[in-house]
Amino acid sequence: DYLTMNSSRCAACKYLRKRCPSECIFSPYFPPNNPQRFACVHRIYGASNIGRMLQQLPVYLRAQAADCLYYEAQCRIENPVYGCVGMISTLHQQIFSAQEQLAKVHAEIALINNAYTQQGSSQFQQFDGLLSDLNNFPMESMDTSNQVPWCL
Amino acid sequence: MKGRILLSLESLFLVSKGPTIFQVLLSHFMASNSPCASCKLLRRRCTKDCIFAPYFPSNEPLRFATVHKVFGASNVSKMLQELPIQQRADAVNSLVYEANARVRDPVYGCVGAISLLQNQVSQLQRQLAVAQAEILCIQMQQEPNFPIFVDPDEKSLVLCANNFSNSSQFFGNDSSGYVNQDPLKRESLSA
Repeated sequence: DYLTMNSSRCAACKYLRKRCPSECIFSPYFPPNNPQRFACVHRIYGASNIGRMLQQLPVYLRAQAADCLYYEAQCRIENPVYGCVGMISTLHQQIFSAQEQLAKVHAEIALINNAYTQQGSSQFQQFDGLLSDLNNFPMESMDTSNQVPWCL
Repeated sequence: MKGRILLSLESLFLVSKGPTIFQVLLSHFMASNSPCASCKLLRRRCTKDCIFAPYFPSNEPLRFATVHKVFGASNVSKMLQELPIQQRADAVNSLVYEANARVRDPVYGCVGAISLLQNQVSQLQRQLAVAQAEILCIQMQQEPNFPIFVDPDEKSLVLCANNFSNSSQFFGNDSSGYVNQDPLKRESLSA
């Protein structure tokens, strides 16, 4: 039984240097072949918080929760100031930028369609100036680099 | 009674031309007498060097309570100590944000928001590609000798003049470097 205990302890119990009972809350989600996974979440959340958070969830949701906690812990270790909130900021900026680009392209399509439904290509030339204005619109003036989610 | 004493002591600052030594000591006493939210919750003395005090004022008890519930006070303290002072406010704000997200969604936390935003980015990228293809299609219709260029290495637009139909066939994307990671498939930290 001592041999079984030692060879099949989960990463959490190995890290915490305690025995791993059969009903260990960590063992399904922190297998012994990935010690870094538990070390990472332990560093950010602590074992008791992880255990409590998993206990409060139904069993079928715990794997997803453990994965998300690991992901957030990794982000926090990589970026100690913003953690995964930094990624949320970046994504907000990308969405804003993409929406701007899309609006410009739609406006361009509307202009082109309008030009070609008029009398032939001579009308199109009148819109050349408008098209070049759209292309030169200074998107970089929309500086969202200082926006973080708690300011949005 | 305590409130009346404090009020009368504060009035000393208004009457005098400058703070006396007594007033300086008194303000120090008054400051350290009102514990921050973390020391209130942890039931300990709030010293003037308290690492939490600047970021968890006593009038926002829920802010620290949420962070403590998810991360634990000692972990937060360790994280803040490892950061320069000028970065701690942002770090606390992001921890509060993450903790609130975790309390609202105990399974996915912030990762739920990240997934949603990534889907939104992908959707917008697709819409943009369709719209750009539409422009090319319109231009091709007007100029039958429009050049066809294929560059699979750079993943640029591949056009087939004979079969191209409006907004339905396109390949590739632009190279603007959008974040496109599946959060749950990340296996290890980058170096």
